[in-house]
Amino acid sequence: MSSLPAGISHDALADLLLALADDELVLGYWDSEWTGIAPLLEEDVAMSSMAQDEIGHALAYYSLLAPHSGIDPDAYAFGRTPPEYRFARLLGHARTDWGFTIARRYLYETADAVRLESLSRSAWPELAGLTAKMRREEAYHLLHLETWFTTFMSAAPSAAERFRANLAQLWPDALDLFAPLPGEDELLRCGILPEPMSTLGARWEATVRPRLEAASVAVPLNSATLPPRSGGQHPDFSWLWNEMTMVYRLELGAVW
Amino acid sequence: MQVYEVFRQEREGEPMAHSGSLLAPSADLARQYARDFFSRRNEALRLWVVPRSAIAEVDDSDWLKPPFDHSYRVPAGYNIVEKIRTAKARAAQAGESEAGP
Repeated sequence: MSSLPAGISHDALADLLLALADDELVLGYWDSEWTGIAPLLEEDVAMSSMAQDEIGHALAYYSLLAPHSGIDPDAYAFGRTPPEYRFARLLGHARTDWGFTIARRYLYETADAVRLESLSRSAWPELAGLTAKMRREEAYHLLHLETWFTTFMSAAPSAAERFRANLAQLWPDALDLFAPLPGEDELLRCGILPEPMSTLGARWEATVRPRLEAASVAVPLNSATLPPRSGGQHPDFSWLWNEMTMVYRLELGAVW
Repeated sequence: MQVYEVFRQEREGEPMAHSGSLLAPSADLARQYARDFFSRRNEALRLWVVPRSAIAEVDDSDWLKPPFDHSYRVPAGYNIVEKIRTAKARAAQAGESEAGP
């Protein structure tokens, strides 16, 4: 017996849950690329563990949508074409080097923390409960990324400078995490989304922008030029999509 | 980079047992890595993360295995089992006579 608030359409529900799930899924896949080649063995285990956490969170979001759409979580994760994914542009980029991975992940974790705090107050008890549980796991991710942020900022000038450039480059794409959702009015009316995405975006920016500027990052002014949540159209993603869906496509409907 | 030794308590009341070691660039990262290495599958209630350099090692064999025969200090040298059995029997007998009619 679902306690989904009345009056919400499937499309609006999918707008929210697929955005959340696809962000986590694709970040998890990119960062799992570090398995075996992270800067030190210990970090290899830590990064791989966090990547697995994100894929687990994606599964949880897809599973929340499944009873309302009749679509299996695996079909969401692996059965769509690249442009059908709804993840933010931040997650379209390849993992690149360690500094880039950490810069992307730092922006993501700080943004996700704001998003999860708000969603844990959702009027949909399943979503509120799930995101409250995720916050407990994400607190560790955030701590780990804060540690790396500080490490990079106090590293040798060449490394710190590159890290700052990565943060500045990724900033506009990180804002895309808070792009308005097509079904946002409905989600707000039903209380599934407690606050508009733009409010969350402003809340994130109010804490992270000063922190970056204090660390001498040349944070660009906000200007959205690309379509929202179009990470799936990033040229890097077609390579990852091929990798992550390879087995699924080999024998559609195969049973394990 | 420093080596850290990690100790883990698996259940309340049990001793902290040595789980292994790891290499980390800072004490903060050592604590974070310790959880990934030694309790990412719910194994621990508590971890101790100790820089190996903080551990005082005693390995002088003249201290630990003195050259003289100390076997007389080993309690196993005494036949105490028989004495305890006799004492218990005596105590039981005394108890019975005290509780008499």
